[in-house]
Amino acid sequence: MIEVADLHKCYGSVTALGGLTFEVKPGRVTGFLGPNGAGKTTTMRIILGLDAPTSGTALVRGRHYQEMIRPLHEVGSLLDANAVHLGRSGWFHLLSIAQSNGIGRHRVREVLELTGIEEVAQRRVKGFSLGMRQRLGIAAALLGDPQILIFDEPTNGLDPEGIHWIRELFKSLASKGRTVFVSSHLMSEMALTADHLIIIGRGRLLADTPTEQFVESSSRGDVFVRSPMAADLASLLERSGATVQAEGDDALAVTGMEAPAIADLASEHRIAVHELATRHASLEQAYLDLTGESVEYHAGARPAAEDR
Amino acid sequence: MSALDIAPQAGRVPSLAVRARDVLVSEWTKVRSVRSSYWILLIAAVTAIGGSVIVAIATASSGHSPMDPLASIFLAWLEYPVLAVGILGVLAFTSEYSTGQIRTTLAAVPQRRAVLAAKAAAVGLLTLCFGELLAFISFFLSEAILSGHHRGLSLTHPGVVGAVLAAGFTLFAIAIVGLSLGAIVRHTAGAVAALPAVIYLPLVLLSLPAPWNDMIGRFTLLIASSQIVSLHPKVGLLSPSFSMLVVAAWPTVSLLIAALLIARRDV
Repeated sequence: MIEVADLHKCYGSVTALGGLTFEVKPGRVTGFLGPNGAGKTTTMRIILGLDAPTSGTALVRGRHYQEMIRPLHEVGSLLDANAVHLGRSGWFHLLSIAQSNGIGRHRVREVLELTGIEEVAQRRVKGFSLGMRQRLGIAAALLGDPQILIFDEPTNGLDPEGIHWIRELFKSLASKGRTVFVSSHLMSEMALTADHLIIIGRGRLLADTPTEQFVESSSRGDVFVRSPMAADLASLLERSGATVQAEGDDALAVTGMEAPAIADLASEHRIAVHELATRHASLEQAYLDLTGESVEYHAGARPAAEDR
Repeated sequence: MSALDIAPQAGRVPSLAVRARDVLVSEWTKVRSVRSSYWILLIAAVTAIGGSVIVAIATASSGHSPMDPLASIFLAWLEYPVLAVGILGVLAFTSEYSTGQIRTTLAAVPQRRAVLAAKAAAVGLLTLCFGELLAFISFFLSEAILSGHHRGLSLTHPGVVGAVLAAGFTLFAIAIVGLSLGAIVRHTAGAVAALPAVIYLPLVLLSLPAPWNDMIGRFTLLIASSQIVSLHPKVGLLSPSFSMLVVAAWPTVSLLIAALLIARRDV
């Protein structure tokens, strides 16, 4: 269990986190989503006691991380797979981490086997591909067989086989009652892996919802209708059981009724329809809509927001 | 199998001594598992012993005795070997900061000052043993060359053992100063640039008008070191015992500054 309460982090005049509150519960994979610069890494660093929050608290199993003794037995983490001394072999990298927490050599061999890098362990990390470094980082996180696992963008640089492996690993860890907290900036990735989603943007919480619910509510499509008599059509549709939302003066977004039925209804009442289209919302679009306002760097001049 | 191979039972907090030993063992593993450590020690050994031998040969072939037969053995030490072990100390921290490995280290051991202490102990033990070994090798090689010319010194001569030990200690002291600089500056290039400034500052201070040159100079690392490795310490500077305190104060103070900073900064 990780509890983050009213977390603020300011770097000079720049606010990285503006009051973030959420909980990460055991027994499920929690996806931590947000565009680049949303504050995911900062949040994780604060949870791990590496950065100090400007205000607010982050507790792991009810304690501040800095107060934990030999924390690897309780929390395993991987923030950056490239943050490794390149001149050291994989074996010695893991051994030095294990020794600091009183973990034996047999466990180092175990995690090497578990992550499938035992063959390259004697080589210096310099010669590791990014995928191998990710596995090395995951091996380090698993050393203490911890109850809580924290991963920052662990699928970066992995091939499809590696991504599949990691997804299965997270699911099996969660099914054993572990707390798995994984960040990503890819909605599609998290939709497949996470049971629960925490979405942030510009250091603020945007959504804290079960993945299933988010997928369901966001992938439902609607029908776009443009008519000079939009108001009349709207009340007509509502009386027939559809849900209607106005989009400007002469257009409606209709849910709960299919396009042919809307067309029939309109012609029955001699209401002119200038445009009628079924729209399929995608999960990715729902995510973009949610985070669109909070993206730090847009490509070009705010495309999504102004086209509508 | 050693005790290290047995994982502690969950729920039982190991004693402070056990935890301290484990962090030290971990840092020792780090020092011995990168090639740069071996290269640096090799370069330090070659320049220290080579320098002493060259000075001894030059002394033996010249007609007159050096002013201080002991200090001349360690003359070359204060030029290159001190820099090499200083850089070994610097790298203990900056290699972790520059790669980001420090975050893995501190996630494993959130007690940051314990990490600083363990690194200092690992690098310190290594450079102290290494420094003493080099000091005695340099001494015996020099004396072997000089004794053929009847200008040798015996280890039993008063003050000689202390001075030879002090030469080894100097390497240890500078390695710890380097390590602290690494923890304070956190960038390899910056810390490596700052290191000679700390060691060689006295060369500039010597050009100050008297008596300021000696007044300030005696508190500097290089001049205090040269006092303690001399058979005939210079008058006007601090005595060898006080100079020893000065040499010991440099790593102590720099470690304290590092301890102050490492606990409060984001990594």
